[in-house]
Amino acid sequence: MKTVRIGFSRRTGRAMVVGLVAVSLFAACSSDADSSTSDGDSSSTATGAPTSDAPSTDAPAKQGGTIVIGAEQEPDCLDWIATCAGSIWGSYMMQITTIPVVFNVRQSGDDWLPALSSIMASEPVVTAGPPQTVTYTLRSDVTWSDGEPITSADLKYTALQIRDGEDILDKTGYNLIDDIATPDAQTAVVTFTAPYAGWKTLFSGSSGVLPSHILEGNDRAALMKDGYSWSGGPWIIESWKKGESVTLVPNTNYWGDKPKLDKVIFQFTADTAAAFQAFNSGQLDALYPSPQLDAIEQIKAGLSGANVEVQAASGNLEALWLNNASPGLDAQPVRAALAYSIDRAAIVNKVYGPLGVEQPAQSFFPPILSAFGGQDFDVYVRDLDKVTSLMTGDGWAKNGDGLWAKGDVVASYRITTIAGNKRRELMQQVLQEQLNEAGFGVTVANASPADLFGTLGPNGDFDLGLWTLVTTFPDPGLSYAFDSANVPSEANEFSGLNLTRTNVAGLDDLLRQVDVEVDEAARLAATQKIDQLIAESVTSLPLAAVPNILLTAEKIGGSTSINPSEGPFWNLEQWALVG
Amino acid sequence: MLRFATRRLVRSVPVLFVGSFLLFLAVRSAFDPLSKLRQLRDPEVIQRETERLGLDRSVPVQYMKWLKGFVTGDWGVSVRTSGDVRPMISDALVVTLQLLVPALILATVAAIAVGVYSALRQYSVGDHVLTALAYIGLAMPAFWFGLVLIQTLAIWPQRALDLEEPPLYFVGLHSPGQPHSLLDTARHLVLPVLTLTVGLVASWSRFMRSSMLGALSSDYVRTARAKGVPRRQVVVNHALRNSWGPLMTVVALDAALLVGGLLITEQVFSIPGMGRLFLTSLLAGDVSVLLPWMFVTGIAVITFNLLADIGYGLLDPRVRL
Amino acid sequence: MTAVAGTPTGTPTRRRSSAWRRFARHRVAIVGLVLLAMLAVCTFGARLVAPYPPNDQDLLLGATPPSSAHLLGTDELGRDYLTELLYAGQISLSIAFAVAFVSTVVGVAVGAIAGYRGGWVDDVFMRVTDLFLVVPGIALLAVALQGLGRSPIVVVFVLAGLGWTTVARVVRGEVLSLREREFIDAARVIGNSGPRVVLKHVLPNLAGVIAVNVALSIAGAIIIESSLSFLGFGVQPPETSWGNMLSQASGLVGTSKVFLLYFPGLFILVTVLAVNFVGDGLRDALDPRSETGIGGRR
Repeated sequence: MKTVRIGFSRRTGRAMVVGLVAVSLFAACSSDADSSTSDGDSSSTATGAPTSDAPSTDAPAKQGGTIVIGAEQEPDCLDWIATCAGSIWGSYMMQITTIPVVFNVRQSGDDWLPALSSIMASEPVVTAGPPQTVTYTLRSDVTWSDGEPITSADLKYTALQIRDGEDILDKTGYNLIDDIATPDAQTAVVTFTAPYAGWKTLFSGSSGVLPSHILEGNDRAALMKDGYSWSGGPWIIESWKKGESVTLVPNTNYWGDKPKLDKVIFQFTADTAAAFQAFNSGQLDALYPSPQLDAIEQIKAGLSGANVEVQAASGNLEALWLNNASPGLDAQPVRAALAYSIDRAAIVNKVYGPLGVEQPAQSFFPPILSAFGGQDFDVYVRDLDKVTSLMTGDGWAKNGDGLWAKGDVVASYRITTIAGNKRRELMQQVLQEQLNEAGFGVTVANASPADLFGTLGPNGDFDLGLWTLVTTFPDPGLSYAFDSANVPSEANEFSGLNLTRTNVAGLDDLLRQVDVEVDEAARLAATQKIDQLIAESVTSLPLAAVPNILLTAEKIGGSTSINPSEGPFWNLEQWALVG
Repeated sequence: MLRFATRRLVRSVPVLFVGSFLLFLAVRSAFDPLSKLRQLRDPEVIQRETERLGLDRSVPVQYMKWLKGFVTGDWGVSVRTSGDVRPMISDALVVTLQLLVPALILATVAAIAVGVYSALRQYSVGDHVLTALAYIGLAMPAFWFGLVLIQTLAIWPQRALDLEEPPLYFVGLHSPGQPHSLLDTARHLVLPVLTLTVGLVASWSRFMRSSMLGALSSDYVRTARAKGVPRRQVVVNHALRNSWGPLMTVVALDAALLVGGLLITEQVFSIPGMGRLFLTSLLAGDVSVLLPWMFVTGIAVITFNLLADIGYGLLDPRVRL
Repeated sequence: MTAVAGTPTGTPTRRRSSAWRRFARHRVAIVGLVLLAMLAVCTFGARLVAPYPPNDQDLLLGATPPSSAHLLGTDELGRDYLTELLYAGQISLSIAFAVAFVSTVVGVAVGAIAGYRGGWVDDVFMRVTDLFLVVPGIALLAVALQGLGRSPIVVVFVLAGLGWTTVARVVRGEVLSLREREFIDAARVIGNSGPRVVLKHVLPNLAGVIAVNVALSIAGAIIIESSLSFLGFGVQPPETSWGNMLSQASGLVGTSKVFLLYFPGLFILVTVLAVNFVGDGLRDALDPRSETGIGGRR
């Protein structure tokens, strides 16, 4: 299930590219918002900026028209399951809008959960087994844009392409498929080789369902990578002019609500300042900027004729990751002292305050998965007396430089983040200042994403790290990042993603239980216990949920909102011109 | 003339090869062409790609293999996009030239005009003002100047005149979704071209000024004046003819370097040319694009230099090639 | 190919004193020199001059426009902007001077040897500098910085690694023409060794060219460093340079905090102008016929 895109890892390809392409990095991705079905804005926070209210569905929407949306990143290819895919913007613009999935992600209360999509006739049936099986039943009246029905053969084709293919972005879950049977055109039965609690990620999230009648027997990569003219969603890709723009037009054979707009153009913008000026001047009708400081400043300054939607409850968790194997940091009291040295509320306020995000994150489950976690980290507020008692209690004393020392070990650490991300560099400087005051030495040692997640992380060559965990599909599995078996080592060919070397007694069992537990209640109990254990042992420190921001011109109405998993264009078919 | 050109060409070719080999070496040691695939943690894939790309062989062998492919038109496939490299580079080149050609023409004309004026009116108020402007032009980082231009020539006029859209655009080279028209392209080109031109005029006009001053104080100009040839005729026929030759050399050299050197302008104005292609590929560690990219810009430099030398010979009657 | 040979005349000593007189008459150059000196004193003496200690954060204050307490305002973290600019100036100026120094020393040495020895040494040298002319400098710089990291030291060596070829070409051209002059011949005839001739007789005559190129390198390095910062290849925090501060603030156009963009730009502008004025004065004073122009800004 690896439903998580993280700076490194399994979704790595994707996250990595995101990071590389936009100097704004991993956090560049994600989003939020209230769903069109909920009438409130339970998850949205209004900004302090002088902006008009978010558009509502009852604005007089017109049929037809063209809009131009600024896109910060260009995808490398559109072969979504291949390694060259992996741009989150590519998904937002062209995958979500054209590729059908089994589970969408929709808001349910405060959380965003998998919700059955409209290609499905009924909820898939799971038998625990062994072997575990999942039976999918498709609707019989859903079709591709060429009129051919979407069938179980498409599920089978997709699953096998991923399981057996080369250069696949992410085989997680698919590699557990033993067999996929198609007793009839609407029914597919997947049999697993091992229990798999995250089965809902299959045919959802980054993969989806591909048309076997077009691709089977052909070179899938060649047919898809530069764009394709078929669709199983509300839109069709009319053109992708490299370096310039992507144009979407309505899929007239779509079975659901058809798009209101005649055409949506995504224009690639390279420079943030220029993109904002273009939005201000009406050259661009919408922007989805990564929450960098200059973007926040621009929003604070007030954009002329703009609706600003900010989603604080995102799937992006920014955290201070501690290398639990570094000298000193291998002791819980030192990690706790570090946590008590940091004024997380002040940092969050400084960076995201203008967007209405004022509270630090208190759990390793991001807001969209808040139900799974607790508030266990809220005990860690800045308290220098506590730092002193914890450190002296563990046998440390301040040395001549005012830094904690114990024997040969001096509590002086490197802090690493992705070079070039202005927001993180700013946070880094604040952390440095606060930790210095508390008697911890901090030096900045930033790296490129490739170095950080390809070399430094796997080799444990860092002390403190600042990066964002991006959850793209709501599944609460955290074992990849906290299970001691996933500490990068010879045994897992350094592919483990427990970069922090977390190894807490009792944690591994709970994490593994979450991965295989099909019973939702038992799973929930386990995740909450996990959060508690991580907080007690302070193996790392969550800082903030990175908010998502969507800016739309006043002329755009209909129902615009951010889906933290599927992005801001998940309901693009409902966007319309008003007035 | 022809012999000279051939000699220059023959001399340039080894430079290109040695240069590209060193670059190959540098890029290969700085970047791992498989870095992206390595994240898949699939030893089989790594093994297969290593063999396919010949990474297990020595660097000279790899280089020769790459060079052979390059010369025969097989430029390989981009690690980043899995697309063919050749169309990527040729598309980017066309875009860059659309920007570069107008900028070069404008800058050359302006630089000659400013340079000649400054030289003829040396130490006049006009000369001082132009000198000061040139220095300010040289002292402003291009991205900063680009942003200033966007603000002053697009945003302010739009606000002042309360227009639907700005008089000049600054994202890309065309309005997407509309048929290409000359007017539309022109509205997109003005700001990036100006950004580019200011720096060029600043440095070229200084060059033209000193080269013109040199010509004006030369013996043959003085002789011509002494013989009673009218001032205007001397300036045009003698001084100017003898001083734009050197300028052309500088123009050609700079122009060639600009083919790949428009990184900043293309970045600010979101123009998908050679500079942006380079940046994107560099950040993605896409060696498969970087190498041919450098080769192409290298060829451009050599070609332009050659043209400059030949043109110099044609323009300057004193030079016998 | 852009080297233009000057034609120094007379003996080195006479040239120098008359040159100084000519320079002193060049009022703009004197203004430039004074400005530069002030900048150098203020930045390198920041510890004494700056109104606040470096990196003195006040998160609650945040970015504020210029006021009597903070002459140039404060940045996002509530740090006094003037103080930060002065400390950043240390890095910017150090980089610029170091680049000028390294590229001049290497360039002069290589250019003088190639020009004086001629023959195959010269040929090899010319081909090596050709190599550097083949690929756009900023692209080479970006590759190098991507591969080697972005500490100020690396930035210096990478910029100098590119800059020395220009100096070397100019010097070589000068030496080539000097070599044929009587006083050099005379020095050789009376039995001076090659290196001695170069050091004692050739180099002093190149003072003008070298001085002008030092000025050009300094100005060029500051501009290129800021451009690299904009592209994300400049000095990385916690080290800050003016170019770095400028690019950090580039997204603030159109907001109330645009002053954060003006001030580093102003410092760069003034410094580069001052350096160019001095260079211009030196050129007029020492070597009236040499070329003008700085490359590498786009």
